[in-house]
Amino acid sequence: MTFAVRRFLPVAVIAVAVLFPLVSGPYPLAVAQSILIYMALAVSWDMLLRSGQISFGIAGFFGIGAYAAAITTLTVRASPIISILLAGACSAGVAFLLGFVILRLRKVYFAITTLALAEIFRVIVHNWGDFTGGPEGLVLPSLIFKGDSRALFWISLGGVLLACGLSALFQRSRLRFALTAIRNNEVSARSSGIDIFKYLMIVFVTSSFIQGIVGGIQVQLYGYASPDSVFDANYTLLPLAMALLGGIYSTPGPVLGAVLLGVAAEYLKLKIPYGHLVVYGIIIVLVILLLPDGLYGQYRRSVRDRARMARGGTAHA
Amino acid sequence: MRIVVTRPRVGPGRMWQVVLWTALAAAGTAAVLLWKPTALVYGVQRAGLYAAVAIPMALVLGIVHIVNLAHGELMMVAAYLAYFAARLLGLDPFVALVPVALVMAVLGLALYQVTIRHSLKAPELNQLILTFGLGIALSQMVNLLFTSQSWKLSLDYVSASATVGNISFGVFDFVYAGAAIALALGLRLFLTRTRLGKAALAVGQNPRGAAIVGIDVGRTYAFVFALAVGLIGAVGSIFLAKQAIFPLVGGPYTMKSFCLVAMAGVGNIVGILYCSLALGLSESIINSIRGYAGWSNVVFFAIIIVTILVRSFRERKA
Repeated sequence: MTFAVRRFLPVAVIAVAVLFPLVSGPYPLAVAQSILIYMALAVSWDMLLRSGQISFGIAGFFGIGAYAAAITTLTVRASPIISILLAGACSAGVAFLLGFVILRLRKVYFAITTLALAEIFRVIVHNWGDFTGGPEGLVLPSLIFKGDSRALFWISLGGVLLACGLSALFQRSRLRFALTAIRNNEVSARSSGIDIFKYLMIVFVTSSFIQGIVGGIQVQLYGYASPDSVFDANYTLLPLAMALLGGIYSTPGPVLGAVLLGVAAEYLKLKIPYGHLVVYGIIIVLVILLLPDGLYGQYRRSVRDRARMARGGTAHA
Repeated sequence: MRIVVTRPRVGPGRMWQVVLWTALAAAGTAAVLLWKPTALVYGVQRAGLYAAVAIPMALVLGIVHIVNLAHGELMMVAAYLAYFAARLLGLDPFVALVPVALVMAVLGLALYQVTIRHSLKAPELNQLILTFGLGIALSQMVNLLFTSQSWKLSLDYVSASATVGNISFGVFDFVYAGAAIALALGLRLFLTRTRLGKAALAVGQNPRGAAIVGIDVGRTYAFVFALAVGLIGAVGSIFLAKQAIFPLVGGPYTMKSFCLVAMAGVGNIVGILYCSLALGLSESIINSIRGYAGWSNVVFFAIIIVTILVRSFRERKA
């Protein structure tokens, strides 16, 4: 891929995405909108993964954002956009406070703690009836932009662009080197003077911020939040599978994975009403075993190999 | 990571700690006994179930060094097998547990050979995601085949109750506590007294060293994984005796099992009994306070998180 194409391609993809609602019917638009929600989550999950920390708690921060948006809309009459920003701030704040403690955990301990935290958030929301509406949840008086489907699509796209923008920014800055170093070997990263805790905190808060924003968007799209709907394990599971299939440690990977899996899942949902999620499980297993770099990772590797061959070297040196 | 089967040596410095904790535990139990006797009974029963489910996971984690996030889902599959054994063949779950355990062991072996084996050398992240994916595949497969409807056997003996003084309570669930103790002691005997068990223990402590002295590490891993899945099959079968089953019934048990294993310290099988007792009791005490029953899960996870944190800080210092 030449430099010009590399510059041009993202712009072209964004342009197509922005123009999509103008040509699409209502059904594809609704499907695309739900894919966008998962896509933003997938990108945000991958951002944290680049530091070597695997989170199973996406649904937790998503749910906090969703409830923050719903509560600020209902109690202080925040406008939808403000409530979405507050949702992001709220998730980021919770992540910041928790980060002091849980970012000292590693590997499986971190993973399971995030899973447990998501469960704790759900139970708190479930039981804190006066504030969160308890198990019935909260219903907003109206949808954002009066429920205009094109505007709903664009606001979801806004969430994705925010996630991709932050992700690309992180990939181009010094952060990338710090996070890769932490992932590869923490001891050597520390001895080269990297403040591990600081970088983990930055990326943890940022990814939680995105998840909160997306949660806020989701609530404004559907006008409804209940413990079982916004803390649904699917919000952890689907983004994870999408990022893996597309290719982790990159921005285009999760985006590609979200499109492929989202469309496939929608098709399967029509064919098999129960248990179409089995495909997600099988894809996760197959990708880990056969294609650990994901589709985009595989593509990047083959490009690299071809370049090396052209220089007269051997593939997979 | 290693399996601790022999009693950790208690030095004079740790002695007072042990005394203190034992005294605290005894005082706590006495207080609960006086205040809410049923909470104590149900706490012990709950603890038994948690421990019985968690022990096979500890075995896999301690020896194969894999966190099996499909653990609860395997139990769910076993429970479905036992359900069909009961419905089609008329087998009582306590009879069905033998064939179910065997079938599950074969399934475990197949899963190991086809998937787990290939990720042993991969980063821990891959293993976590792999078993996570296996769990989803299993639960959704069951969902696909049998829908999400919940099924239950209605057996007479599960509602057996006993009366002590003026309190009466269900006694069937003590079966889980019995199963947990049997599993813990049985595994301990197996790992310390038999040739195969000793080999497995050696592999768990140091795979390379075990290979040097002539133990087939790969085969040991396969055996231990199959054994653990077989044991979870037996647990799933008795789980069915009282509980309703549905495709997602296993998920929470994966999480709770892992939490217990992490709390007890990786590889410490007998420690799981104590930890699950502490958690089961605290859950059932919260449950018995009127109006706060919904919070018991928060207590569970809060205790777990605190324990994991304390443990990881202590390890870092060492």
